[in-house]
Amino acid sequence: MVMLSVMIWSVGVFLEILLLVRGFQEKLFGQFPVFYLYLLFVMVNDVVSMCVYRWASNYYFQVYWVTQFLSLAIGSGIIFEIYRVALRSFPGAARMTRCVLLIVFGAIFANALTIPWDGVFRWLAAATITLERNLRIVQALAILTLALLFSWYAIPFGKNLKGILFGYSLFVGLSIVQFTLWRYSREQIKPFWSYAQPVCYLLVMGVWIRALWFAVPLPKINPDPQIESDYELLIATTRDQFRKTLARLGWAARA
Amino acid sequence: MMPGLAFVAAAALLVFLLLLSARDENGDDLPATSMRNRNRLGAADALRPAELAFRIFSPKDREFIRLTRSTRLERLYREERRRVALHWVRRTSRELSTIMRHHRLNSRHSQNVNVAAEAKLFGQYMELRFLCAGLVFLIRLFGPHALADLASYAGELYERLGRSMPDATATNHVAASGGVVAR
Repeated sequence: MVMLSVMIWSVGVFLEILLLVRGFQEKLFGQFPVFYLYLLFVMVNDVVSMCVYRWASNYYFQVYWVTQFLSLAIGSGIIFEIYRVALRSFPGAARMTRCVLLIVFGAIFANALTIPWDGVFRWLAAATITLERNLRIVQALAILTLALLFSWYAIPFGKNLKGILFGYSLFVGLSIVQFTLWRYSREQIKPFWSYAQPVCYLLVMGVWIRALWFAVPLPKINPDPQIESDYELLIATTRDQFRKTLARLGWAARA
Repeated sequence: MMPGLAFVAAAALLVFLLLLSARDENGDDLPATSMRNRNRLGAADALRPAELAFRIFSPKDREFIRLTRSTRLERLYREERRRVALHWVRRTSRELSTIMRHHRLNSRHSQNVNVAAEAKLFGQYMELRFLCAGLVFLIRLFGPHALADLASYAGELYERLGRSMPDATATNHVAASGGVVAR
């Protein structure tokens, strides 16, 4: 069993190194710095965790949870990087996304405030798994909001960014499922727990390797030169078209 | 947080992943095509004038068909008119989404996007889409003359109620004008 764990770990580290090397060769570091920082951190973390597990297993759980939260924090940076890279050429969509994300985070914060104060401390002091799962849910909500807005504004991703988003979303989604299962059916999941996470992570690594093997530039869409100065006109035109449609529907209702 | 929320978030995320993976890479060129088509709205592909809507939903044709006293003809008319009305509402709904799509493909590039105006516009868009969905529902369920029938039924009902309770109506009129209140 221990051998199997070490093997999965080793494959993971190998894939991380491979991804880092390809990123360096394809000059993707500069394009996605936070993502590669995250990968580097996870790789170092894996090696350190493996050593601690082998030679100082008493400290393994402390090391695991501390590094897990650090990776969660850096992982949140990936979401910001996806937002930054994808919306670089779309200032209008970026502004809307900022606003909607603020509302989503505001709603999460307001929801947290509705918990009684002693409840918050109890919540914070609750099992680390629950806390991490809750933070992953916040990440998932942020990713979903981003994805909905990207889809609404038809933002082109490009193969690399699409792969990063796909892989990280998969990772967050699977983490939430795992943590929820752990919380509610701990005994049944215990034998598989130490394998489930690394195996899911290998799956995510596979997605990333496929997407980031070659650097593919983001598809460029040239904006209409009239747009910037004509925003007010655009709003007015759209409203006018809506009014005309409403009038037509009104005719139907009045007939 | 509730375990249900966790599952919903995870499921939604996984559905999004499926959609993302299914999204065609060529689809990225779509916005540029749409930009070229922006002036097509309201031109050759546009809907007929509002009078057409009036004609489709007007009960006059139905009255005319009723004069023939042919059940078969009446049934045929109902079926045909229902299809025409549904087609018209669906086209209107499609046109609405084209208008909105054109708007968002243009506004995404704009430096001076007004968040409140965009939110209001989105609200209007959703309202119109719901209106279309409601019309489709009504037409499917009761036929294209449902709204007119409902309105005339309500009018009849109101008159009937007024006739059956003349005293109550009179009392309400007095009360509404600030006069004597019935005890």
